[in-house]
Amino acid sequence: MTTTIVLQQAINGVVLGSLYVLVALGLTLIYGVLVQINFAHADFVTLGAFAAYFFMHLVGGGYILSIGVAFAVGAALGWLINASIFTPLRRKGNELLPLIATIGVSVMMQNLMLAWFGPIPYAFETQYSSEVLRFAGIFVSWQSIIIIAVSSLTIALLYAFMKFTFLGKALRAVSQDRETAGLMGINPNQLIMLTFVIASALAGMGGAMLAPVLVLTPFAGTSVIVKAFAIVIIGGFGNVEGTILAGLIVGLIESYTTQYLDPGLIDIVVFALLLLMLAIKPTGLISERREENV
Amino acid sequence: MSDPALAQQMPGQRAALRSRWLGYLLAVIAIILLPLIFTDTYWRTNLTVCAINVLLAIGLDFILGYTGQLNLGHSAFYGLGAYVSTLLIVKLGIPFWLAFVAGVGFAGIAGIFLSLFAVRLRGHYLAIASLGFAVIVHQILLNWISLTQGPLGIYGIAPPPALVIAGTVIADFRNLAAFFYLVAGFAFLSYILLSQLVRSPIGETLTAIREDEVSAASLGINGAAWKVFAFGVGSAVAGAAGCFYASFVGTLVPDAFFVSEAFNILAMVIVGGMGTLIGPVFGAILLTVLPEVLRGLGDLRLVVYGAALTFVVLFMPGGLAQAARVVREKLGLRRSA
Amino acid sequence: MNTAFRTLFVSAAAVGLLAIGSTAQAQDKTIKIGALFPMSGPGSYFGAQDKQGVELALEQLNKTGVNGYKFAVQYEDSSCGPLPATQAAKRLIEQFKPDVIIGEECSDATLAVMPIVEQAKVPLLNAGSSSIKVTEPGNPWTFRIMPNEVMQGINLAENAAKRMKAQTAVLLFENTNAGIGNAQVFKENFTKLGGKVLAEIGFGRDVNDFTSIATRVAGLGKVDVIPTYTLEGQGLKITQALAQAGVTKGGGGNAIQIGTIWLPFGFEQKAGKAALGYIRIVQFDPTDSRDVAKNFAQAFKAKYNADPTHLNAHAYDQIMLIADVVKRGGKDAQSIRDGLAATKSYSGVTGSVEFDKTNQNIKMDTIHYMETKPDMSWTSLKWN
Repeated sequence: MTTTIVLQQAINGVVLGSLYVLVALGLTLIYGVLVQINFAHADFVTLGAFAAYFFMHLVGGGYILSIGVAFAVGAALGWLINASIFTPLRRKGNELLPLIATIGVSVMMQNLMLAWFGPIPYAFETQYSSEVLRFAGIFVSWQSIIIIAVSSLTIALLYAFMKFTFLGKALRAVSQDRETAGLMGINPNQLIMLTFVIASALAGMGGAMLAPVLVLTPFAGTSVIVKAFAIVIIGGFGNVEGTILAGLIVGLIESYTTQYLDPGLIDIVVFALLLLMLAIKPTGLISERREENV
Repeated sequence: MSDPALAQQMPGQRAALRSRWLGYLLAVIAIILLPLIFTDTYWRTNLTVCAINVLLAIGLDFILGYTGQLNLGHSAFYGLGAYVSTLLIVKLGIPFWLAFVAGVGFAGIAGIFLSLFAVRLRGHYLAIASLGFAVIVHQILLNWISLTQGPLGIYGIAPPPALVIAGTVIADFRNLAAFFYLVAGFAFLSYILLSQLVRSPIGETLTAIREDEVSAASLGINGAAWKVFAFGVGSAVAGAAGCFYASFVGTLVPDAFFVSEAFNILAMVIVGGMGTLIGPVFGAILLTVLPEVLRGLGDLRLVVYGAALTFVVLFMPGGLAQAARVVREKLGLRRSA
Repeated sequence: MNTAFRTLFVSAAAVGLLAIGSTAQAQDKTIKIGALFPMSGPGSYFGAQDKQGVELALEQLNKTGVNGYKFAVQYEDSSCGPLPATQAAKRLIEQFKPDVIIGEECSDATLAVMPIVEQAKVPLLNAGSSSIKVTEPGNPWTFRIMPNEVMQGINLAENAAKRMKAQTAVLLFENTNAGIGNAQVFKENFTKLGGKVLAEIGFGRDVNDFTSIATRVAGLGKVDVIPTYTLEGQGLKITQALAQAGVTKGGGGNAIQIGTIWLPFGFEQKAGKAALGYIRIVQFDPTDSRDVAKNFAQAFKAKYNADPTHLNAHAYDQIMLIADVVKRGGKDAQSIRDGLAATKSYSGVTGSVEFDKTNQNIKMDTIHYMETKPDMSWTSLKWN
């Protein structure tokens, strides 16, 4: 009985963690390249979720395809926010300006979505969300299996892109050192744009996958974003592997805190871990060891 | 008028001093006149909220603008001030002003504690540490129900006791105008204190640290100690704002000190102009009054507010302080032409 | 083209005249109702539905007027928090000068507004705040038509222990004033009747995934009832997760979810099979055969093309009760207050209204029990 529970909570934690990873990866990528935080990232998640919902309900598309639509919507938002906010503010020097500007964008987006979609939660049901797989006292919904499959695939693709393609290498080079990129003959502005597009596409896609799990309202994304910040710092700013590991750890903390302590304490445990990390190892779970690669 | 760089450029310290005292005089007149102009309870309430937010904004600006410490958790000190003072009053029956001192002191010590913890962390690590601190403080207020009542809230918190001198009531703080004079007066004194600190050798040290920590260290300046000191002062001011908040609203729930409040305060500082003390004063007033003025727009109120915030940052990156300077320079040019 | 233009012109002029006429009339004989609703942030869930109910009531009342009075409503966003509610209430009182105020939904906000309306001597008619503190010890200017957390909690605990023969319970509640308050009342009374509470699980409004909580409940052994206190969004996720974990009837288990007034009509359609067997108190019963309820449901459907929720019904009742007071001679703040206090067996959509000396509605026919059937339809349980 107890081992079943431990195992079941491990599965629950990993499913939730993979969702957090998708949201946090975008924040990490942007931070790695720009040392900036896009506060509206959470709202990209929400809009991605709504894009998937309306693609399924108005256009009649399938769920898997709707994940692609949300990905595209996120990518477009990433392009837009970089072109309208981050690029014009980059020359102004103050690192807090984009943060505050994107707080404004976030307030604006949430309230526009509220005006369009209303505050009543949407029931985002897919053919997978009520189908449950049971074996040896363990239960997993097909939705969870899709979440794990799609996020693993996405993470693997992202990893391969960063590791093996020229653009990906350049991206990592920029996050190490802005000038190296220039030496590689790449326009850093284009790389920054690419980062925003990828990061926000991941957020949009994360939205489509979170939608059947979370309470879909215009405020859906904000419930995830504070944890995503924690994951980014626990994993080490700008560190992709660290973020993945930290995301899974936070997911597991959430499920085990629920089981053995109290769900009200989840944030305290997560952020206490964060402060502990800052105290003993501020560079994050996995230390930077990429310098020699580039 | 309070920008040290500008003050130094002016010909003669005397002129600077005179314009500063003129500024203070104008501020005193404004504080006295405001509740006399706005006589209804709604606007007098907004005036007091403005004064509370001014305290929060100048406290954060002192930490952020003068020592370059990215504090994203100012809501924590605000909340600690509010809860510590209120709990002392409600649970132990301690007199208001003693509890006020305790609340301010507790917030200041918490700030020093966080700053000591974070002193070896730079830039964004401090930002996240302070954000994490704010999340934890909010969660503790929420979950420690036996002490704080958590989401059940504390109700019917009394205003500060009336000021009585020789048997005559000088100020009864159940009166909104009197409450405004109290908070605004306190904010004004805090402003003078902070601006004197900024102008003092300490302030020059702090500026030196902000500009270049390494060379400041080589000059024998103990940067870390001054940074911790500045963090403590800024947090204590937020604690005072919290004490006033609790006794003004009369109701205390943890959600008033959620981390989003820290971002609101930060927006006031940035919109006003970081690194000048006068800018955040007007930033706080603008961002408090704007959502109230926009109420007529109904459902679109916060859409317009969000857009306004974005546009101010995009087109006035130095905030209101910079905009005022630009206007003043243009006027000056015109006069000389 | 020409005629079209002329028609347009004439109708525009007519509308203009009407507007002038109605404002002129509005100035002498209008009951001004201030509405403090959360219209921004997650709390707008309440505000948006309240507004629908209010608009429907106004449309019906202003066709003829009551005793020569028309009704005008001014909405203010009180954002579900003490300070914004304070600002909104003062703005209403200073600028709109209402004869009566309705709202807030969140208990924190209502409690913060109560001293303000008392000082301004404007009656506050509340429907949605369940905290006992709203009417205990009571405030002469604040009235509540919804049964409070204690009335609902005692009743639910008694029915769980006696009618459902439940021996064990697990409490699931959001960490808010209302969530904690409701759960505590249930625990106290259920334990008094010999029941055992196996676990009390509270969670923030930002918790999304309830699989872990459902797993924990599944590991607690035999659970008879699961009193659940959350809003629709989290409620859906909890019901589905409990079914997936095989805890509740909807997932092949034995436990039954029960609850007080939190969830709207239509919840089971959204939740699907997982909601099977859910028993809860509702304040608007769509199977109610009284004319007032049937007419309301029809009119609502005609106006919004949707079935009304209890929130729609609450807001509608608030306005209609004020209209009833006006019919009985209410014409300003003081007389409306006195009229509200003198209400005897007023029959509204959500049930009857009659206030005790703390201004709490004491009519228990506002508590209806509903059970969810296998085809997701409702049966009204005649438990009260």
